[in-house]
Amino acid sequence: MIRLMIDGRPVEVAEGTTVLKAAEKAGIDLPRFCFHPAFVPEGSCRLCLVQIEGSPKLELGCSTVVREGMKVATQSPVVRDARRGVLEFLLAEHPLDCPICDKAGECKLQDYAAEYGLTEGVFREAKEKREKRLPIGEKLLLDRERCIQCTRCVRFLSEITKTHELGLFERGIRAEIGIYEGRPVRNGYSGNLVDLCPVGAITDMDFRFKTRPWFLDRGESVCPHCSRGCNIYVDCHPGFPRVPGSAKVYRIRPRVNEAVNGPWICDYGRTTFVAAQNGGRSDRPFWNKSGAKIEIGWDKARTVLGERLKALREGGRTGRASVAASGWLTDEELYLVKKIFCDGLKMSRLFLVDPKPGEGDPMLLRPDRAPNRRGAAELGFDLATPSLEALTRDTEVLILFGPHLASHFSGEELRAAFDKVALKILVTSHLTGLESLVDGVLASATPAEKEGSFTNADGRVQRFGAAARPCPDVRPELRILQDLAREIGLGSGLFHPGVSARAVFEALVQEIPFFGAGA
Amino acid sequence: MTRAPKVLTEFFWLEHLHRIEAYLDRGGYQALKKALTEMKPGEVQEEVKKAGLRGRGGAGFPAGVKWGFIPKGADRPKYLCINADEGEPGTFKDKYILSHDPHLLIEGIVLAAYAVGIHCAYVYIRGEYEMIARRLEQALAEAYAKGFLGRDILGSGFDLELVVHRGAGAYICGEETSLLESLEGKRGNPRLKPPFPALVGLFQCPTVINNVETLADVPFIVRMGAAWFLEQGLPKDGGTRLFGVSGAVAKPGLYELPAGTSLREIIYAHAGGMKDGRKLKAVIPGGMSSPILRADEIDVAMDVDSIAAVGSMLGSAGIIVIDEGTPILHVLRKVAKFYAHESCGQCTPCRLGTSWIHKIVERMAAGGGTREDVDTLVRLAGNIKGRTLCPLGDAAAMPVEAIARKFRTELEASLEGGAVRP
Repeated sequence: MIRLMIDGRPVEVAEGTTVLKAAEKAGIDLPRFCFHPAFVPEGSCRLCLVQIEGSPKLELGCSTVVREGMKVATQSPVVRDARRGVLEFLLAEHPLDCPICDKAGECKLQDYAAEYGLTEGVFREAKEKREKRLPIGEKLLLDRERCIQCTRCVRFLSEITKTHELGLFERGIRAEIGIYEGRPVRNGYSGNLVDLCPVGAITDMDFRFKTRPWFLDRGESVCPHCSRGCNIYVDCHPGFPRVPGSAKVYRIRPRVNEAVNGPWICDYGRTTFVAAQNGGRSDRPFWNKSGAKIEIGWDKARTVLGERLKALREGGRTGRASVAASGWLTDEELYLVKKIFCDGLKMSRLFLVDPKPGEGDPMLLRPDRAPNRRGAAELGFDLATPSLEALTRDTEVLILFGPHLASHFSGEELRAAFDKVALKILVTSHLTGLESLVDGVLASATPAEKEGSFTNADGRVQRFGAAARPCPDVRPELRILQDLAREIGLGSGLFHPGVSARAVFEALVQEIPFFGAGA
Repeated sequence: MTRAPKVLTEFFWLEHLHRIEAYLDRGGYQALKKALTEMKPGEVQEEVKKAGLRGRGGAGFPAGVKWGFIPKGADRPKYLCINADEGEPGTFKDKYILSHDPHLLIEGIVLAAYAVGIHCAYVYIRGEYEMIARRLEQALAEAYAKGFLGRDILGSGFDLELVVHRGAGAYICGEETSLLESLEGKRGNPRLKPPFPALVGLFQCPTVINNVETLADVPFIVRMGAAWFLEQGLPKDGGTRLFGVSGAVAKPGLYELPAGTSLREIIYAHAGGMKDGRKLKAVIPGGMSSPILRADEIDVAMDVDSIAAVGSMLGSAGIIVIDEGTPILHVLRKVAKFYAHESCGQCTPCRLGTSWIHKIVERMAAGGGTREDVDTLVRLAGNIKGRTLCPLGDAAAMPVEAIARKFRTELEASLEGGAVRP
């Protein structure tokens, strides 16, 4: 271990640690543009310069390795003056179009300028005119006037994706980031460039000019669009008080978890998440009655389903009911599915239906298009998609969680199979067409709107809380299941009103220790 | 007037000196024979160390000490790079060696490689030196044919491959780590140091980078001995220096003089004094990046330490003489334009600072200057100096700062006269 002093605070770090990392350990944040923990230090922005006793010049925090007894000053007048100098240069050539910049509010140039850059404006020359909206990828625009040439984007594409689409062209003040002719950024991880860009130089066409970052609430969640379980921030606009349904998710961003996704997420998750959160939602329970959609309250819906299940139980015919759960349910919800239908109703026909696998890649995206198949496996579900015959043979009641059956069978096949089933209930967060083939639809929450845990493909149990505001009339499956259990008179503390996902999770861990080990 | 002891340039008057026959006639490759047959590599290195040979590229670092940084052992290849990317304005000494006496350089290269245990060397030559590069390649072919290069040189068992690589015209590639990047086929941007090239250099291997003139001195050290070489210069700065004198002197040209010759003597005795009886205004003593000296500051010995003591630097020993008829704003404009054009753009202060300074100076030259501009120039130079990734930032800031400080009165006076026409 190496001992050193940073701003008079003693710090002890491992040999080979950089001053920047050691400072972080001491609770001191060095300003930086070009430095990113995932890349080799570049040392070009010159913002992390610090004063080291005995050194004639200022040294880089990001690349200087600590030595025993080193004395570092990160806030001395010389250091602050160097930072002020860098920011003065950057601001002189910056367009200062913050009022219409998507990055405003979360821009490092703004933050550092406020902290160190207070300086009299003496730049009287003409600023360089550059391309303001250069498409560099399917959803990426580059503003070369805002670019401060930290080259994080270039290095992400050379060091992480190794696809090398961006390069630095020309030199000096004429140096610019750009793509090679006819070869735009296309690699499945391009959205990370927007997060990496410390200023508003690279913007996302989906997010551009849509809202202001400071209106967004940042929730923490787990991406449900494959079984990697990337940790994410969900940036949700809380909506306006007198405009129902105006709450909206605008984007998701990676939340660093070195054990799962590091600092990145994939483009598939990014776009699918936002699209799924805002479009095609089932927002209230309804019934299909002779071709018409009839709104039905939650109480009524529950009673209809409950009565039917009670009748099956009293007649000893629970074998004539089947349930298709899904890897989109949380560990807690899957646990309640088992508690209610296996233990409570003694049903044996529990299946799992998930979307068809898609493409994966070597970085993060896995082929499974459901977040919790591993959790379902640990709970004893058979992961194989059942045949329609197995699902609907001699069946009076069919309960489907999620609309995924439609990705495996055609409408004709489903219609034919469903005809024989007296009551078909679909619990779904999205309307994809399947809802017209069933009798009742219960509107459920998306993973972003609820609390729970997913177990990713590596067996890592990841708990998350509600990150986005739900549609007004949807309910998480956990609550739907609890209410149904009480309706049919199942007695367990887990079914009491208001029992939280946390409490259900604790019961689950008691029963299956696997879920406690990974959490 | 100092009698000029000719070492490097002694035979420059010879016709066809660049051909190997002429070089052999005057005793060429004798040092190499001596080293390969009589000396161990360590002895050659020791001799160069004792000779007080300081790098001629600009930084003045002792060459023998630099060689000593290369790790011993042969787990990885080691490389020697010869910096012939002579781009500093006012400097033309390496050009003379390369074009007049290329075999002297080749002999120096083989000796250095032998001393350090290197089997592959690259000459990185400035892109604009096209004819010279061809001449060097011709010399290379001759040396290979005569067995002074290649496998088993002079039957000693020592091998050396030498390659000539032409640059593409960027000043930054004269900075040693940018040179390595460029040689590797990448964009010529400087690298972060540490690691230093002696440990992680060309292709991630230990690498020595020496200037052309530095290596051209090595055959003399081996042949005549360290003591003799030291006698030609100063106790800590051995040998002669090639001073390239340009500007308003009667006889501009290359002068070989002992290190420590006074600047006044170089200008007035050797270079024939001021051209057409003009009056001396200022001197840039060591290539454009060295801080300017006023006419009353030229009684200074031209060696690394003495010139540093008066706040400038010996640099590449390219002396630019400026007369009273040249507006200092014109000099400033040349300086500002050059560094703004040549900044690689990698680090913030150099990329944006050099350009901002250039914009201010152009405005001043166009007649739009204000009194605050001179202060701003000094302050901006201060924002760059010592804070950039490589020495180019210092090279850009130092001359601007010196001109603005030393010629403030003239600069301010010129603002009143409207546009400055050079």
